[in-house]
Amino acid sequence: MATRQPPGAAPLSFELQVLTLLPGLRRYSRSLTRSDSESDDLLQDSLEKALANRGQWRGGSLKSWIYRIMTNVHLNTRRALARHPSVPIEAAENATEETSPSDPLERRKLIRALDALPKDARAVLMLVVVEGYSYQEVADILEVPVGTVMSRLSRARHALQDKLQEDNVVPLRRTT
Amino acid sequence: MTEASLITEADLHGYADGLLGEADRVRVERYLEGNPDAAELVSKWEAQNVGLRRTFAPYERSHPDDLDLLLTRPRLGKPRARLASALAAVAIFLTGAAAGHYGPALGGKDIETVTTAASFPREAQDAYLVYAGEVRHPVEVFAEEEAHLATWLGKRLAVADLKIPALQALGFQLVGGRLIPVAGKPGGMFMYEDQAGQRVTIVLARNRDNTTTSFRFHSAGSIETFYWIDGELGYAVTGEVSRQRLQEIAQACYEQLS
Repeated sequence: MATRQPPGAAPLSFELQVLTLLPGLRRYSRSLTRSDSESDDLLQDSLEKALANRGQWRGGSLKSWIYRIMTNVHLNTRRALARHPSVPIEAAENATEETSPSDPLERRKLIRALDALPKDARAVLMLVVVEGYSYQEVADILEVPVGTVMSRLSRARHALQDKLQEDNVVPLRRTT
Repeated sequence: MTEASLITEADLHGYADGLLGEADRVRVERYLEGNPDAAELVSKWEAQNVGLRRTFAPYERSHPDDLDLLLTRPRLGKPRARLASALAAVAIFLTGAAAGHYGPALGGKDIETVTTAASFPREAQDAYLVYAGEVRHPVEVFAEEEAHLATWLGKRLAVADLKIPALQALGFQLVGGRLIPVAGKPGGMFMYEDQAGQRVTIVLARNRDNTTTSFRFHSAGSIETFYWIDGELGYAVTGEVSRQRLQEIAQACYEQLS
């Protein structure tokens, strides 16, 4: 279904499909990184890689394939902190008015806690929580066993919780 | 007791992430009732989930220069005729019009164009909202008179040989069409329906300024619009369907109409 194409559709197909995925990729990219500029670079590098290697896409889920590329590009990038100072909040605030938590302070602390996580654990947490993948799907995307996914997820959650505790943060309210 | 002892941390994660089947969910729930510490941990995770989703959800957006991101690649030089020409047009548009930076010499006429391009998806969504919910009179001319519909709307939009996209391959039958105003000019709307009664509309509008845009998404609530302006006409495909599905429809239209 995700990869079905009308007959004779070839030329625009790949780009169009990637285009459709861009908003989600932008979100994932931002959720992995510490700043808007780092996120932009990651998105661009990942797209470049995907387009250059389009021949290697075997026709499975294009989405998963590109998410894998982006995750790998990110894990293989050494953070250049000087180039990308961690400035998530202000940039995020402008973009998030309609949907953000009511208390910017809560979000600020959450993001700070997130920025302290190891990259691989953060990636798993984001794929599960923000991107909505199941544990098995995350394992497929990352090409690791489900057990590894679970241990990274556990590491991410406990570290996040410890960090929030340290900051003496009142947990965010549940929506329901 | 035996049941409770079988609960692992993985189960708790699965519970917090809503990934458990019904039986496991109930099992964990029962366990949490008797284990306040675990219950507190899980509720913190759930709260983290909410906070994370809210933090990053706003980044799920399309940007005007999205297509540019996919196109400024060395492979542009390769002869891929249709894509290349579409891209060239888009690139020209993006460097000038998309950002709304028309040269001053172009004056008021082009400012109107920009407004039109920006309001186009909204008008298409309005049309969808108004007509897709109509049971008895969703269209003026029903699919039985498809040929007449095409001639009529073609005349009103001043398009010689207007084609009505065929979407049967995607599971959508033509319901019919109607004349609608778009930015104060005659525009056309085609309505389609799948077997479940889910409707999508395609709005066509005359673009008098020969601008071209990239393919873009616009969403309002659950209503998604995929639109583009290609030479003389603007197209907007609207429906309460997934972006993936909408994109397939848009692609079919793009191929049949241009």
